[in-house]
Amino acid sequence: MTSLTIDALCTDAHVLVTCGTGGVGKTSVAAALGVRAAQLGRRVCVITIDPAKRLADAIGLTNDLGNEPQQVVTDSIGELWVTMLDVRETFDNLVRSTSPTPERAREVMDNSFYRNLSRSISGTRDYMAAERLYELSNDERFDLIIVDTPPSRNALDFLESPERLARFLKHPIVRLLIAPSRGGFRIANAALTPVLKLISNIVGSDALSGVAAFLKAFDGMENEFSRRALAVADTLRSDKTGFVVVTAPSPDALKEADHFVSELKRLGITLKMIVANRMPPRFGRTSSTAEHLAATSSSGEIAVMHSLLAELCEDAERAEIGINGFLARADLKFAGVPSCTATEMPSDIHDMESIALLAQQLAAPQPRQ
Amino acid sequence: MEPHHFFTAQRVLIVAGKGGVGKSAVAGSLALLAAQSGLRALLVSFDAETIEVPAHERLERVTVTPGNALTDYLASKGMGLISRQLAKSGIVELVATTAPGLDDLLVLGRIKAFEKELRADIIIVDGPAAGHAIDLVRAPLQLKRALASGPIAQQADEVLAMLADGARCKILMVTTPAMTPVQETVEAASELRDDVHIVLAPVVVNKKEPDVPSLSTTDMSQELVDAYTYAAQRAQAQQEAIAVLSSTLELPQMFITRRRLDGGELVTAMVEDLALAIDALP
Repeated sequence: MTSLTIDALCTDAHVLVTCGTGGVGKTSVAAALGVRAAQLGRRVCVITIDPAKRLADAIGLTNDLGNEPQQVVTDSIGELWVTMLDVRETFDNLVRSTSPTPERAREVMDNSFYRNLSRSISGTRDYMAAERLYELSNDERFDLIIVDTPPSRNALDFLESPERLARFLKHPIVRLLIAPSRGGFRIANAALTPVLKLISNIVGSDALSGVAAFLKAFDGMENEFSRRALAVADTLRSDKTGFVVVTAPSPDALKEADHFVSELKRLGITLKMIVANRMPPRFGRTSSTAEHLAATSSSGEIAVMHSLLAELCEDAERAEIGINGFLARADLKFAGVPSCTATEMPSDIHDMESIALLAQQLAAPQPRQ
Repeated sequence: MEPHHFFTAQRVLIVAGKGGVGKSAVAGSLALLAAQSGLRALLVSFDAETIEVPAHERLERVTVTPGNALTDYLASKGMGLISRQLAKSGIVELVATTAPGLDDLLVLGRIKAFEKELRADIIIVDGPAAGHAIDLVRAPLQLKRALASGPIAQQADEVLAMLADGARCKILMVTTPAMTPVQETVEAASELRDDVHIVLAPVVVNKKEPDVPSLSTTDMSQELVDAYTYAAQRAQAQQEAIAVLSSTLELPQMFITRRRLDGGELVTAMVEDLALAIDALP
C-alpha cells in the first residue's frame, strides 16, 4: 500500500474528479474534499453537475446564479468556492469566445437546432462539463478544481466527450453539411446524398436544414472547438488530475464501483483514491456474540437491545466483507491504490457542519482492516 | 386493494427513483407479484446488467437500449439492412446528435409498441434514475417542438398520448425514508405531474428500518447504549423524512422493509411486503 492520503491528494492535485453511482454520497465527498483542501490553505472550487437540492442548499448553491462560483464562508486559511454547471451559459460562452465575429455568435445562438442542443440534453451536458472544467482550471482565482460527476453509469462519458465532439466535427457528413460549396463537393455529395436523405427521412427535413444552418454558421469555429476539446482531454489525463471513486458498501453500489474502476482502466486514467463512504458504524462485538447474548439475556428489553446490536454488527461485517472484496478487485487493476473510509451518520448530510465532519473522517489516519 | 386491480389500473408502470433507492429491485418485485397474481407481466430494462428476478411462467423480460430501439425502428420502416450498415459507420451516433432526445423517444416508442400489441397485461419498466426520468419523458415534447412533421414527430405524438393517459401509463416513484431522496422524489413528482402531465401511482418507500422500541432500563453496557443511540437517531431521521413525504406529496405510500438479502432472495422477500402494502391501499 502506498501512503497517499487525502491530505496529500488535496495538497498536490490541480483537478480532482469524484465518480460513483447515485446514493453513495459522491457530492458530499466532493464538498468534503473541498473543505479539507481549503483547510490546507488551497483556493478550491467545487463544481457539481446536478446536485440534490438539499445538498445544494447545504453548501449555499442556488439555481439562479448560473455559472458564477460563489464563495462559502469558512474559518479555514484557504478559500472554498462552489458552483453548479449551467449548460446553456457554458455553451453560449464557448460560442462567443470561439466565434470570429459577434454577429456570427448571434447567428449560431439564434439557430433552432442550437437552442435544442444547448438545453439540458445529456450529451451536451457531458461536453459542457468538460468545457467548464477547462475554463475553471485556467481561472487564476483557483488552484484546485473538484468536479462532482453526474450520478449515472455513464458519468465518465464526459471524459470522452471532447474527443467525441472533435470526431463528430470531422465526420464526412458533417463536413458536407458545413461546407457544401468547397472543392471535392460533387464526389462527396454523390456518395453521401442517400445517407443525408435517410437522415432527413428519420428526423424530418426541417430538422436537417436546421442542423445544416447551424453547422454553416459554425464554420471556422470548429477548429477552436476541437483544440479546446483536446486541451480538456489533456488536462484530464495529466498527473495533476486525480480520480476518486466513491462507493457505499451495498452490493449494487459496489457493482457500479467495479464498473467505474474498469472504465478508468479502459480510458487509461489512473485511479488515485477510493473512498468507502457510508460504512455502517461498528459497536464492539461480532454479530454472533450479540446474538448469543440476545438469546440468553434474562430481561426482555435487554434481549431486544442485543438483537438490535446483532443486526448492526451484521451490517458492519457484511459491509467490510463487501468493501474488502471491492478493494482487492480494484487493486488488481490499480496496484496499491489507497483507500479511506467514512462512517454513515444517523441522518443524511444536509449542512456544512456535517460536511466538515465527513472531511474530518476522510482526513483521519486510516487503519487498514 | 387486490393486486390484480392494482396492476390492471394501467398497462404500463414506469418505475423511477434516485440511485441507491433500490429501483430495480422494486421493479423486479412488482413484475413478479403481477405474474403471481395471474397476470402476464413484462419487465422492461434499459440495461442488460440488472437485478436477478426469480423466474415465473407468466413473467417475461426484455432489454431495450437506444441502439436496438433505433435499429428496430428503422427495420419497421423497411430499412433493416441500411440500419445495420448505419450502426457500423457511426451514423447512428450522428443521427442521435442531430436530434437530441431521439434515443429516449425511441426507447419510449418501443414500450408504446409493446403496449399497443398487448404483449402483456402489465408492462413494468425499470426506468432510469429519477433525474433522467424527467429527461426521458420530456424528450417527446422537446422533439415535437423541434420537428414540425415527419415520422419522428408522429412517433412523439403517439408516445405523448400514452404518457398523458393514466389508464394506459403511470409513473411509480421509489424513494428511501431519508430526507435527500424524499426531497428529490417530491420535486421530480411535481415536475412530472405539472410539466409532463403524467399520472403517478402510489409512492414506494423502500428500505425502511424497523422502529426502535423505547427503553425503560438504562443499565446497559456502553456498546449497547451506543448502538441504541445510533439506531434511535436513525429511526428519528427516518420518521422525519416520511413526515415530509406525507405532507408534501399527496400519494398513498407503500412501505418495504430493508432486508439483508441480495438478488433473487431479496426480490422474493420484497414481493411479500408489496403484497401487504397493496392490500392496505384503499
